[in-house]
Amino acid sequence: MKINNLSFKYEKNGDQILNNFQLEVNKQETICFVGPSGSGKSTVLRLIAGLEVPLSGEIFIAGRTVVNDQVFIPPEKRKVGMVFQDYALFPHLNVAENISFGLGKISKIDKSRKVNEMLDLINLNGFANRYPHQLSGGQQQRIALARTLAPNPRLLLLDEPFSNLDESLRDEIRKELKNIIKQIGITTILVSHDQADADFMADRKIFIYS
Amino acid sequence: MQLSDKLKKQSIGWLLISSLIIILLLIPNINILLNLFTDTSENWQHIKKYLLMDYIKNSLILIISTGLLTALIGTLLAWLIAAYEFPGRAFLSWALLLPLAIPPYIGAYTYAGLFSYTGPFQVLLRKRFGLVVNQQYFDFMTMRGAIFIYTIFLFPYVYLLAKSFLAKQSASLVEISCLLGKSATSIFFKVILPVSRGIIVAGASLVMLEVLNDYGVVKYFGIPTFSTAIFKTWFGMGDLTSAVRLAAIAMGVIFILLYLEKLLRGGRQYSYSTSQIRPLKRKKLTGGSKYFATMFSFSIFGLGFIIPVGQLLYWSYLSDGSKWGNLLEYSTGSILTGLLAATLVIIAAIIVANTVRINSGILSNLFARITMLGYSIPGAVIAVGILVFLLQVDQFISWLMQPFAIEINMFLTTSLVMLFFAYLIRFLGIGFNAVNSGYQKIGTKFFEASRTLGKSVTATFFKVDLPMIKPAVLSGFLLVFIEVMKELPLTLILRPFNFNTLATRAFEYAADEMIYRAADLSLILIFCCTIAILLVNQLRKGREDASEN
Amino acid sequence: MKKLLVMIMLGVMVGSFTGGILAAGEVNLYTNRHYDADQKIYEQFTAKTGIKVNVLKGDSDELIERLAREGESSKADLLITADAGRLHRAMVRGLLQSVNSDILTKNVPVNLRDQDNKWFGLTMRGRVIVYAKDRVNPEELSSYQSLTDAKWQDKILVRSSSNIYNQSLLASLISIYGEEWAKNWAAGIVKNMARRPKGNDRAQATAVAAGIGDIAIMNTYYLGKMLNSDNPAEVEVAESVGIYFPSQAEAGTHINISGIGLSKYSPNKANAIKLMEYLSSAEAQSSFANANYEYPVNPEVEPSPLLKSWGEFKTQQINLTELGIYNEQAVRIFNKVGWQ
Repeated sequence: MKINNLSFKYEKNGDQILNNFQLEVNKQETICFVGPSGSGKSTVLRLIAGLEVPLSGEIFIAGRTVVNDQVFIPPEKRKVGMVFQDYALFPHLNVAENISFGLGKISKIDKSRKVNEMLDLINLNGFANRYPHQLSGGQQQRIALARTLAPNPRLLLLDEPFSNLDESLRDEIRKELKNIIKQIGITTILVSHDQADADFMADRKIFIYS
Repeated sequence: MQLSDKLKKQSIGWLLISSLIIILLLIPNINILLNLFTDTSENWQHIKKYLLMDYIKNSLILIISTGLLTALIGTLLAWLIAAYEFPGRAFLSWALLLPLAIPPYIGAYTYAGLFSYTGPFQVLLRKRFGLVVNQQYFDFMTMRGAIFIYTIFLFPYVYLLAKSFLAKQSASLVEISCLLGKSATSIFFKVILPVSRGIIVAGASLVMLEVLNDYGVVKYFGIPTFSTAIFKTWFGMGDLTSAVRLAAIAMGVIFILLYLEKLLRGGRQYSYSTSQIRPLKRKKLTGGSKYFATMFSFSIFGLGFIIPVGQLLYWSYLSDGSKWGNLLEYSTGSILTGLLAATLVIIAAIIVANTVRINSGILSNLFARITMLGYSIPGAVIAVGILVFLLQVDQFISWLMQPFAIEINMFLTTSLVMLFFAYLIRFLGIGFNAVNSGYQKIGTKFFEASRTLGKSVTATFFKVDLPMIKPAVLSGFLLVFIEVMKELPLTLILRPFNFNTLATRAFEYAADEMIYRAADLSLILIFCCTIAILLVNQLRKGREDASEN
Repeated sequence: MKKLLVMIMLGVMVGSFTGGILAAGEVNLYTNRHYDADQKIYEQFTAKTGIKVNVLKGDSDELIERLAREGESSKADLLITADAGRLHRAMVRGLLQSVNSDILTKNVPVNLRDQDNKWFGLTMRGRVIVYAKDRVNPEELSSYQSLTDAKWQDKILVRSSSNIYNQSLLASLISIYGEEWAKNWAAGIVKNMARRPKGNDRAQATAVAAGIGDIAIMNTYYLGKMLNSDNPAEVEVAESVGIYFPSQAEAGTHINISGIGLSKYSPNKANAIKLMEYLSSAEAQSSFANANYEYPVNPEVEPSPLLKSWGEFKTQQINLTELGIYNEQAVRIFNKVGWQ
């Protein structure tokens, strides 16, 4: 993954958030953006995912240009997985339906096999028929992770993964998350305002200031 | 961002269809509004000299009083229903929407009839007790009477919006206020009213537009207002231009009022820091306050529904009955028209609302505003714009078909197509507001999550957005259905040959001063709307239960 | 369930589209009359001639506006309005054409039709005075003008000036006595009003019975309707008031008509004339007039027993075209003198 000269401005207030931002991430590497809120670290994630359009600059993922002056690959075609800060689990779908949401057109059997595989991975077997509002915060986060990983993305983006969790759970969940990432061996970018998270999770830290 | 860049971000199909809808909506309005730029006529001077001040005064009194009263009653009831548990609450929760099923002019006839010299009340006093009362105290046809009629039959607009808003959004605020030791009254005035101000104003502005454009009540009560003036000028003086000018002033007045409100609010837009939406837990009322809540809600329901329906039933009993065949014909005509029109309007509203949500820019802001245009102009005036536009389209079609020796003459303007087109223009704003509030409630995160999971805008719409905004879509559908069922000016002017609805027939009887004969039709109309309200309520409740268990 | 709904909707769609294509052997009517009895008369006409009558009901002004906007491509053959002034307006806007029919000229008296035979009256009503039998001696009443006498101060009930019947009444007075006279008259009535104008014609009679005022100005047929009302209390009201035909010693009582005109671009002209002739015929006239307790225009046809019991009266002899000519002036006078 590579970012060249990325600049971004919010349409609403016209604030320039990023100016000629550069970044290169190696395969299977986990990096963490650290910085105060409002510094634009989440914006970089949204730009990589394709949820925002940059003012200028280029982004490459796995050797493919996803955005530059001429090209714009929409988010659904980028094969980038993103776990949102408040998880955004679909409240009208149960856990199994949430996890299989991104799987595309495959047979029912394949689908349920994949769902079970993911539930195994996150240690939540037996939760397939629950609805999101029946789950705890930590469980919701793991389901969101499973949903993101199910379609085999080439890049995993985690937006403030620990901010909505109890302090007591934090250590455990950090450990679990790190295990899963390493187990799959996926390239990961995460965003946090907490130095400790970054120290624990990341191979490399990037500091962003406004 | 350049436009081309912007287009990268979203699916262009949605934008194109929305633009088409907006353009279709604009053309007939522009046709009419162009009248504003012609020179003032001699009629205009006459109107200005003799009529304008009176009309402005009366309209302002009506609009402002009704706006404030509906806001107060609507919010108060919404708050009682959303936050408290008391006897009859479950029933009242949907029953308080029912006054919406009664067209204000029918309500005006029933109340004036009830208290008139020949009405059941005075007849009873005279015959039973030999009492002849001073007519002055039983005169319903006054400014106060009109304000009462509008308030009692239109407050559900505010109630409907405020109720769902409060039930879903206010939980944490209320809990915190309770913890801070605030009393129920001070929570209502210090927290609930300010926080829901935006949504109350949205509801009240619908009410105000409805009052401004209503002709039936003020005509019957003899109160000269803007709409009287518009018709007097247009038909009495044959001067459409001046009539449009009056309509524009009226719209201006509304916009000034809304702008003033915004200024007072200091441009603050309350939004929520938390994304976790929790339903409000209802508090059980005890003792006196329990009975007060029940009594208050029931008396509003009684005034807005039971009394007028009772009077209609009495009239229906007095009249020698209508033919069932006719009633059936009018009912099916009304219901099918209502269903079809509401479907059409809601589909268009969803498309525009989805586009507006994805594109956050000047263009979509503009789109959102334009949808209300059709609702802001008096129906009869807009009807002319639609007729002129579709006549041109018709002529274009027959010109197009000429080389093929196919004769399609006046296809649009002599069929129901024209009417449906008119309903679309008039009620798109109502549908849009409902759908848009649904979108605002869910925000963009689910949409974005779905996109990163490999679903396109359209796939996301069907799999994620639509199921999630279903309650909003349903209430939008319901509102539009009821509006179409009650609609008069457009239906009267633009309908094809031999087409009757419950509303048009009831209106014709009322216009012929045969209000008794209108009773059966009005009752069926009210019954259909009641069923619709009940149905949507059931669907909604089913959904809530499903997601809670 | 869903499928059924979709099917029904599709059915309606198709129906509405095909509804746009009208077959031959028809006549298309824009009418301001909504009486159930009218529909029966059209059915009788269809039974007799095989010509189907398609009806579009609406407010007369709005129908005229629609007709005007449709122009050459209009499907409308005939226009019926409940006021001569409206027919005149349609004529002035060039929406009507002359009809040469001996039957029509024979059946409709000359002052109840247009000079160029562009419209014809079908039914007739008077705008009369109604008084409280127990408080008013009919000998105190005389002309429209006498209503402005000081003795009627706070006694007169009349509806709003936005109503066409009041506009036509004033227009007839302008035509007979001139604008200045009419303006003074209107101002005099405003001075004598018992209350701000409100309600419809029936409400004025009711207000007389209730004692709010002593006399009301209203159309004859509303009294007929009240006497035949579904509500017994209303019948009582109607029986408590007397009817008086004003200005018998002068220009006569103001009358107005429901009338019909042939649209300029009528696509089914022959059928349309047949319907016009039928409506003026002895056969249709009595039911067409009785539908609304009105007087037939055809001199060969007797009015209903109720109307006959009110006696014969002298009518204003102006051509009813004048009602249209002076309508706008009338509206302006009302505005100036503050007749709401």
